[in-house]
Amino acid sequence: MFQHGGAMYEAGIERARHGVRVEATGLSRRFGEQLVLDGISLAIEPGETFTLLGANGAGKTTFVRLVIGYLVPSSGRVTVDGLSPETAPRAVHARLGYVAETSRLYPDLRVRGLLRFAGQVRGLAGPALDEAVERMLLRFDLTTVDRRLVGNLSKGYQQRVSLAQAFVHDPPLLVVDEPTSGLDPLQQFEVREFLRSLAGQRTVILCTHDLFEARALATRVGVLRAGKLAALGSVDEVLDAAAPLDLFRAAKAMPA
Amino acid sequence: MKALFALVRKELAVLFGSPMAYLVLALVGLVTALLFFDHLRVYNQILFVYTSNASGGFELGTLPERVNLEDQVFLPLMEQLGVTLIGIVPLVTMRVFAEERARGTEEILMTSLLTPSQIVLGKFAATFCFVTLMLTCSLVYPAAAVLRAGLGLPHLAAVALGLFALSLALAAIGLACSAFSANQIMAAVSAYAVAFVIYDFGWLEPFLGAGAGKLLDAISLQPRFVGFAEGIVSLADLAYFAGIIGTAFAVARLGLDVVRVR
Repeated sequence: MFQHGGAMYEAGIERARHGVRVEATGLSRRFGEQLVLDGISLAIEPGETFTLLGANGAGKTTFVRLVIGYLVPSSGRVTVDGLSPETAPRAVHARLGYVAETSRLYPDLRVRGLLRFAGQVRGLAGPALDEAVERMLLRFDLTTVDRRLVGNLSKGYQQRVSLAQAFVHDPPLLVVDEPTSGLDPLQQFEVREFLRSLAGQRTVILCTHDLFEARALATRVGVLRAGKLAALGSVDEVLDAAAPLDLFRAAKAMPA
Repeated sequence: MKALFALVRKELAVLFGSPMAYLVLALVGLVTALLFFDHLRVYNQILFVYTSNASGGFELGTLPERVNLEDQVFLPLMEQLGVTLIGIVPLVTMRVFAEERARGTEEILMTSLLTPSQIVLGKFAATFCFVTLMLTCSLVYPAAAVLRAGLGLPHLAAVALGLFALSLALAAIGLACSAFSANQIMAAVSAYAVAFVIYDFGWLEPFLGAGAGKLLDAISLQPRFVGFAEGIVSLADLAYFAGIIGTAFAVARLGLDVVRVR
């Protein structure tokens, strides 16, 4: 049923191998009376590393949760490779990997077991699963801790596991929510190097409030303020425009 | 299908990765043993009284009709085991959805190729596997009583089926409560509340009148279970338990959707 096979599945994934297009049109989301996201319209092109910037509570996490289909929009729509997470959730989920804000993993599972589980629930089986797990262990330098419980790992290792589980099925879209939050500088560097390695190969949606990170990785930036898209463009364009946030003026002074 | 089995295996691994599973199994074994030996002690005392009064010996045939192993040990033990399950099953079910939500790992599942119904099915299946294991542990002493009393395997099978149906219904109720909460304590408390209310609606009879008695019996868990304990397997009773499980499944499925929409 969920085998990593089928002509349509393979064709869809192959077509999307170098990233998929993500498009939001008038996307809004309410929680009760509170309007958290207000009419967001933007398009993220295949292979682009799109960074969503904003202060805490600006609506970044809500936006990515709408993209991955974890939340349902109050109005408007979002599509991934032309598919709606609401009407074609499996097809959308086959195309994406998601890394949540903090390491949200199963502490009682061992690293290898968790990666196998992540692969299995994303359609991998048999030799393809074994190969994918080994590839992730190597890529994220997890071979020495593969039999340890996830809960016993350091925060840096947990973040590696988090990235590995999201990338195990080699998705064309990676959605990453504040991946370097709470990591030491070396760990931050490792995560950024991984995201940089995907440039042009995969579509990446990166949420952050770290301006240095945005500068280092983004091909384009969207700035969210109080649920509205306050600015959209390249890092320099956004900074040179009306400077919607004082935050960005400070960033401009930073060395590139 | 392999993804579904992977979820079941993951659930069991997480369950047995925490001390709670072993505590619950030990607790069930301990409670069953205590109840069993207490009933056996009382039964032996009754026998002793009759033996003391008999002159020159004691014959089983002279005992009153209801002084036997079945009525004094087996049936009360089964009924108490049913109530015990209400206390224990929510300890198993409380974490299943609530912990996933509290830790944020629900997002891993919700971005997988599993549909929400399959997620609920996988969690139900894993929980039912554990409850079956728990029940097997608890049936050791009653099985010994049944075999010793010569009640026969059909009676034991009927009782086991009843306990199994009751346990699964309680587990399903607990899972449905867990699906609506990110707090394990709240999930457990709500499961206790629902289970205690529907275990026996008889308490409503004084308020609704005697005429409502039959209806209340029909929708209560306990009267449905008693038939099994007496060795009577009824399709209507099985359908009742299946209905409870089906309803709880639908409610748990709704719980996943509510989070996405609200």
